[in-house]
Amino acid sequence: MSMQALNHLVARSIVDPSVVQAFGNGTLDDILADLSFSGDLRASLADVQADTWAEFAVLAYRTVRAAEAPVIRFQLPSPLEGLRPDAGMAGREQVA
Amino acid sequence: MTLIAPEERRWLLRNLALGLVEYLGVAEPPVPVEALLRHPPGVLQEDLGVVDMYSNLWDATFARLPDQRGSIFVRIDLPSRDRRFALARELLRALVTSEHGRAMGLPEILVPELQESAEYFARQLLAPEALVAAYRKRGGGAAQFGERFDLPAPVAASRWEDSAALN
Repeated sequence: MSMQALNHLVARSIVDPSVVQAFGNGTLDDILADLSFSGDLRASLADVQADTWAEFAVLAYRTVRAAEAPVIRFQLPSPLEGLRPDAGMAGREQVA
Repeated sequence: MTLIAPEERRWLLRNLALGLVEYLGVAEPPVPVEALLRHPPGVLQEDLGVVDMYSNLWDATFARLPDQRGSIFVRIDLPSRDRRFALARELLRALVTSEHGRAMGLPEILVPELQESAEYFARQLLAPEALVAAYRKRGGGAAQFGERFDLPAPVAASRWEDSAALN
């Protein structure tokens, strides 16, 4: 959702000079407040340092993409299942 | 100056194209690029225009007159699809050199790869992702894609590949 909001903002900026003016005036947060950025993300975007609007847009893209990246978790097998998925089956074959 | 990855540059170009498509209110292909040039957004009023020319040297080129007003000079005898693509490609040069484009900082990011950027931008403007996705959803295939979006065959093939990579 945040990336969609950023896409919309950058798309708007090519036809609406108020976006670039807000960036230049340091009042971009007023525009960000109307879009669906989370509070944390809005704070991160407020910290982005850029010389131009286009540079800000690219750095904002990095920020939003990093925030939306899925958290990778290690999926360890449960100790109750044993380390080998076929361990139980192997045992039964031996008994038979 | 921040180093920009190709993927980041393409993302920026996609959204610049999207802004113009949304301005036009396009719901179905083909995207009327010539209408955009003749009736541009107010902020680009002094930067866009079309002038038909007789030329054997190039298909289209963007230039500014001494009064700074910009126009795309396009060969009068180009086939429609080639004309549309040439105009869309030169449109990016117009944006980059416009007062608004310079205020946005577009030259710093796009000039180093301007030719590649202009062609990518043109493909995205003439075949925006939302319209391509809708075309695919309705069962549209590669064979009719160029005709539906009014694109030259090599451009259609390239855009179709880009779209397939996303799906």
